[in-house]
Amino acid sequence: MGTQSISTKRLDWLERELTQWQGDGLVDADAAGRIRTRYAAGTRFSLARLMLGLGAAFGGVGLIWLVAANLEQISPPVRFAGITALWLAAVAGAEVLAARRPGAAVGAFRTVAALAFGAVVFQAAQSLQVPAYDAGLVGVWGAGALLYAYATAAVAPLVVGIAAGVGWYVWLVAERTESVVGSAVALLLAAVLTAAVAVAHTTWRLADFAPPWRLASALLALLGLFLAALPRLDDTDLPVTRVLVLGAAAAAVAAAAAALRADRTGQRELAAVTVATVLAVLLIAWAPPAPDDVAQLSGEALLRAMTAIAVYLLAAAWFAVLGVLRDAQGLTQLATGGLVLFTVVQSFAVFEPILSGAALFLTLGAILAGTGYLVDRGRRRLVADVEEVPA
Amino acid sequence: MSRTVRVVVVCVLQLVLVGAAVAPSLSARVTGQEYVLEVAPVDPIDPFRGAYVTLDYPGLVQPEEPREEGTVFVPLVQAGDVWRGGVPQRDRPSSGPYLRCEADFRLRCGIESLFASQETARRLERQLAEGAVARVKVDGRGNAAVVGVEPR
Repeated sequence: MGTQSISTKRLDWLERELTQWQGDGLVDADAAGRIRTRYAAGTRFSLARLMLGLGAAFGGVGLIWLVAANLEQISPPVRFAGITALWLAAVAGAEVLAARRPGAAVGAFRTVAALAFGAVVFQAAQSLQVPAYDAGLVGVWGAGALLYAYATAAVAPLVVGIAAGVGWYVWLVAERTESVVGSAVALLLAAVLTAAVAVAHTTWRLADFAPPWRLASALLALLGLFLAALPRLDDTDLPVTRVLVLGAAAAAVAAAAAALRADRTGQRELAAVTVATVLAVLLIAWAPPAPDDVAQLSGEALLRAMTAIAVYLLAAAWFAVLGVLRDAQGLTQLATGGLVLFTVVQSFAVFEPILSGAALFLTLGAILAGTGYLVDRGRRRLVADVEEVPA
Repeated sequence: MSRTVRVVVVCVLQLVLVGAAVAPSLSARVTGQEYVLEVAPVDPIDPFRGAYVTLDYPGLVQPEEPREEGTVFVPLVQAGDVWRGGVPQRDRPSSGPYLRCEADFRLRCGIESLFASQETARRLERQLAEGAVARVKVDGRGNAAVVGVEPR
């Protein structure tokens, strides 16, 4: 068996464990030596992956930029043929490499292929003068990238597909619902649906696909809650459109199906995002009368703002905990970032009518510093607790 | 099914998706008749497709208040050397050329953008301000695509 590259941090951990195991009599010196020969610090490998990933991302984005440059010296059909050829070359290159020498380079080719497909869509639309700012084109790009990701079981195109898909959905919701309330509910329903997909992947197949879906779910849920928690919503009537009803039904069925075979954490994950959706709807329905003068916030309005802050705080804390439980650092960072942004906006919204100038900034600074301290302390305690749990 | 076959099938599906995304414009270009409409400019940038000129059609009647959203059909009527839009209607006209449009705060008939390099977009904008017409192809189902813009 060959040597496997692992991070220096993990190698240090293995060395400490081997010493401990030898001391406990679990392995002898010979076995410990043989285990050591199987692993080596892989900094160069990680660096190569990073460079390949960055190169592929820059190359793919460059292709889309090339389309946007609108090179009029070349006729539109030739430009379309050229971009299509580059896309197919990236797809074929990835397959040839995957068959001969699987590795990080395959992922790079697939990233280029997923981004280049977007370039094909935009080049076709540009050549045919499809009207600008058409959300459907981003949706087609996302759908194509997702198809490619599932056909090749590759994570890189999945990330592109989810990013384009989420971008398309948020764009469409903002364009169609024409209300903050409708947008908030649509985002939360999508969060339930994507959480169900993440849990299903964790339980059934393609476990590597779960983290990107989980991250998308957290992003959509935090966005939806952010909108629902805004203190002065212009319109609190929920627009019950056919799209929203179908979305709610699809989210409920997907969550129930995923929960049937999910582990305990998966079930909690689904329950948490569902509860967040219900709480958001209740927050939306709770509409204290808006005062004529913003300086006269009613007691009920203040109570609603405080409740909204508590709900958002709980949701963000849950996603931070989930990040630790699922070993997904990105999730914890997203939750922390969302919490900071939310605290800033809410502090301005709640305290701006009461305080002004320096007092407002001093209060905001104290709230942010306090929140940061509590979040960091909670995270450290959680990590310590998880590490102490015996395997 | 081997992965190679799966990937080939997916590539074909992706190409079908591209075709579906641009179907109305493609159909108008390939099967449509050409009409000339008066046109005026506005100019921004699309993040994915670059510079373009937003086209306004003074000859197309905007829907009256209260506006109903959704699909409407605009019959095209010849007025001298250009074509103008008749009153938007919910039912598809039984004869004559017409545009299939989506109505919200304005009519969107698939002919509102003309993509070009930044330099060309600026030149077109000046040209359009002095008066211009758009050559538009319209197919039998009202799908339309801009073919070009020229001075009047």
